[in-house]
Amino acid sequence: MRCRIIIFAVIFSIIPFFYVCASEYEIESDVGVTGILLNFHGNKAKFNEYRDIEDGVYGRFHFKYDSNYFLDFKASDIAYDTQYYRLEGGKWGSFKYHLEYKEIPHNFTFGAKSFYSGIGSNNLTFSAFPPNTDIRTWSTFDYSVERKSYGGGIKLDMLRPLFFDISISREEKDGVYPAGVAGTSPGGIAVELPEPINYTTDTLKFEVGYAKRPLFLSLSFFLSEFENDNHNLNFRNPATANTASTTDVLTLSPDNKYYKIAFKGNVKVPLNSKLSVNLASSRTKSEADLLDFFVDDVPGGRIPITISDKIFDGKIDTQSYDLVLTSNPFPFLDGKVFYKYYKRENKSDEIRTIEDDEILTNELFGYRKNYYGIEIGLRFPARLYLITAYSHVKKERKREDVPENKDDIYSFDLKWTGLDFMNIKVGYEKMHRTAEFHAPEVGPEEPDFIETFVGRFDVAAKERDTYRASVEVSPIESLNFGFGYKNKNTDYKDVILGLRESKSDEFNIDADVTLGKIMKVAVYYDYEKIKHSQFQRQLPFNATTGFDPGTPPTPSSFNWGAKERDKNYNYGIGADIYVIQKKFTVRLQHDYIRSDGAVDYTYFLGTNPLPPGRTQDNIDISNWDDYRLRIYLIKAVYNATKKLLLSAGFIHERFSYSDAQLDGYEFVPATAGTNGAFLTGAYRDQSYRANIIFLGLACRF
Amino acid sequence: MRNWFIIFLSILCAIFLALDARMRASGATSYVEPGNCQVCHEEKITEGKTGYVGSEVCKVCHEKEYDSFLKSIHGKKGIPDSPANREGCESCHGPGAEHIEKGGGKGVAIFSFGKKLEAKKKSSKCLSCHDETKPLAFWDMSRHQLMDVSCDNCHSIHNGLEKNLKAVEPALCFTCHRDIKSQTNKQSHHPLREGKMKCVNCHDPMGSFGVKMLKADSVNELCYKCHAEKRGPFMWEHPPVEEKCLNCHIPHGSNHLKLLTKKVPLLCHSCHDNRGHPGTIHTSFETFKGTATSNKNRMFARSCLNCHSNIHGSNGPSERGSHWLR
Repeated sequence: MRCRIIIFAVIFSIIPFFYVCASEYEIESDVGVTGILLNFHGNKAKFNEYRDIEDGVYGRFHFKYDSNYFLDFKASDIAYDTQYYRLEGGKWGSFKYHLEYKEIPHNFTFGAKSFYSGIGSNNLTFSAFPPNTDIRTWSTFDYSVERKSYGGGIKLDMLRPLFFDISISREEKDGVYPAGVAGTSPGGIAVELPEPINYTTDTLKFEVGYAKRPLFLSLSFFLSEFENDNHNLNFRNPATANTASTTDVLTLSPDNKYYKIAFKGNVKVPLNSKLSVNLASSRTKSEADLLDFFVDDVPGGRIPITISDKIFDGKIDTQSYDLVLTSNPFPFLDGKVFYKYYKRENKSDEIRTIEDDEILTNELFGYRKNYYGIEIGLRFPARLYLITAYSHVKKERKREDVPENKDDIYSFDLKWTGLDFMNIKVGYEKMHRTAEFHAPEVGPEEPDFIETFVGRFDVAAKERDTYRASVEVSPIESLNFGFGYKNKNTDYKDVILGLRESKSDEFNIDADVTLGKIMKVAVYYDYEKIKHSQFQRQLPFNATTGFDPGTPPTPSSFNWGAKERDKNYNYGIGADIYVIQKKFTVRLQHDYIRSDGAVDYTYFLGTNPLPPGRTQDNIDISNWDDYRLRIYLIKAVYNATKKLLLSAGFIHERFSYSDAQLDGYEFVPATAGTNGAFLTGAYRDQSYRANIIFLGLACRF
Repeated sequence: MRNWFIIFLSILCAIFLALDARMRASGATSYVEPGNCQVCHEEKITEGKTGYVGSEVCKVCHEKEYDSFLKSIHGKKGIPDSPANREGCESCHGPGAEHIEKGGGKGVAIFSFGKKLEAKKKSSKCLSCHDETKPLAFWDMSRHQLMDVSCDNCHSIHNGLEKNLKAVEPALCFTCHRDIKSQTNKQSHHPLREGKMKCVNCHDPMGSFGVKMLKADSVNELCYKCHAEKRGPFMWEHPPVEEKCLNCHIPHGSNHLKLLTKKVPLLCHSCHDNRGHPGTIHTSFETFKGTATSNKNRMFARSCLNCHSNIHGSNGPSERGSHWLR
């Protein structure tokens, strides 16, 4: 990796020398350094989820050369996990190129623990069965993944109206991510495993086209190759007494190759209209060596299975065709008529597996979507603009429960700009979905009979109503006010078991005002309330009756419901105080982000008692991903000279997190049964408190 | 695979350097001096051009705007059809003679891109040149165009920001899309507010064939560009995953881990209800702090994902694969 960075650095350094010989040119550059002092308590992974804030000095650099040729080089967070370098250059009107390197961390949990050795590799083991449950003896590691991507590209315009665009890039993703398995199934313990992430994705994009009225034509090719260094994660299963040499296997993502060829074009036609077309075809391929055994708690550890082919060849083809006619035949009328066809065809291998005389064959999922519609914009006097739309979507899929959906979507939006200082929009959208539901043809004593009542929200029939409104007011140049509102109700009208209703209400307000040359103040407030309501049925593992939710309840077979509610509210206030006009500015900012989630459970047990100790109230959950983020900032910026800028400030950031599923975290709550688990601490204790002092210096040359 | 990448990168650099050298050798680096356009474009220069006064005259009153124009891409004379090679300021604002005669003033006998003007009229000024370019080839299809958003809602050639934007992303998009801003503030989010992603990584505000102006023909195609490991194809697929990532994820932000629309296990219960644990109620009693004597490992920590971590697809053996356990 270091070698590649050096290559990039050399390229970045050499290229400017090709330019300095131009006769007339302008050069601008600026350099900035910021020193940071961090005082920190708590979960640093959450604090630095996508950042790398540490005690230290952060540098950035920007160099810009402009003549007939141009060059723009940016570097930021040099030598940190968030470092970024980009070089753009070329000749105005002829060609452009870019080279880029960037890193993005994604930190999940620092200080996770596991009894396994070999963390970070695809072989996890422990020395003696059962594993030691004293977590003080366990290894410590971080759940974190770093993306490093680099690449470049060239765009050629010199042969206009022909254009040519090519770029390549590579992304390397390395780290450790939380995965998990059931020790034995069913009824076994859960085992959390640190999954090694060593991915490489190479992409190539190529496009050639022609752009001159009345025609636009483009032919493009996209290739992406994904390589995973670890196709399997081998681990000694702590739920079995087998020897270390009997490894269990969690399969990981296979290598894949994806390519897409697309043609896009449009042509101007009479009546101020344009006909656009998109024809695209893609193929994804993978190959995986299949296992002909699984590990269980039996002598020897491995139970063989019969498979029809030891290699799985995955192949998925897609086709996408679009035809769009847009028209503006009269000044008061805008129109768009469109048709879209999308098909996903699964041409992968069908593999038959036989386990204990039970035959199981993978189902090859595919679907086809026909989508057409019309949008019309009508301009009325008094600057009233009405946009109405209708679209119809028909989706056919290879799926047993709901092989077909038909959606009819109607909408209107009204926009009024009659006053120069005000902009008002209101809108409504109605979605009506029908579903061709196929109940399984089984008797009421068969477990699958319950499928007669299960409605899956992704395909279930539904009515969705969305109302929206917004107002933007700017009575004077120094005062802006905005308001937005959205209400969305989804009723899964035919669902008996599953998600039945989702509702959301949200409004957002923001305003800013500039008080002469003294200060600028900006405020915002966001509120959102989301509700989901679902109805479910609990049955014992070996139930042979009672699959119909209309059956009278018993202590072990009954219906239950859950009402999940998320409330979010955020507000912020900020002020830029111009202590000395254009010379010395003080910025004050406070942000508060709050989420309050809860679940209200209900047992529908009729006259049967609830399980011992439980009441309809004490089963509810009041902390369901609850968090508060408070940020306070004070920053002073001093323009010492036109070329020298000094800044200093302080940030206090506090994140408090509470969640029923993670509070009271235990690494080994039990070693057997359905309370049993060997956990690693993924996502636990996310709260943190940070104080940051920073001092910056920026010079412009 | 990795070798071809290095070879390709080298070829790319070689093409660039060769191109650069060739241009220099042919002397193609010099542009046509102002005033010489008519050598090739006599008709265009002289045809119906009355009332134009030239940018130098505009500068007398609008020096700041004139300077920013010169620094912007529109001021580059190296670009053959740029305003700098045509009528300068008047390429966009129209002839200025009458404006001067009437004593100036905002919008007085001049095209000023003010709020009073219709969006379509303002955009048509820009499109007179830019609809021949790739980025704007499908502007007519965009939701922005239909909703009467004009180019100058987002761009200004007079402020010097990248791509002539009026503000940096995502702040610019959030001026209208307030609800999306609120979502990106949630604890689980793509790294937009950290500046590691931009709205335009996924959306094309200038119009595309994708729904919601996505830069792909389907949602999954877009997501797989960065999450290539989810692409499979897997032997054991999870149909809602293969059909649309948005069945379970909200890309702009969620209160729940992994950008999930609902928290697990309730999300999974929404579709999976049967005898045994798929239909079992998991309440406060099944949490770490709860006193339940069974089924707790289906609720605490990562809940269903404690065991079913291959939820995006699996090549595992038989039932363990088909249930995404291996």
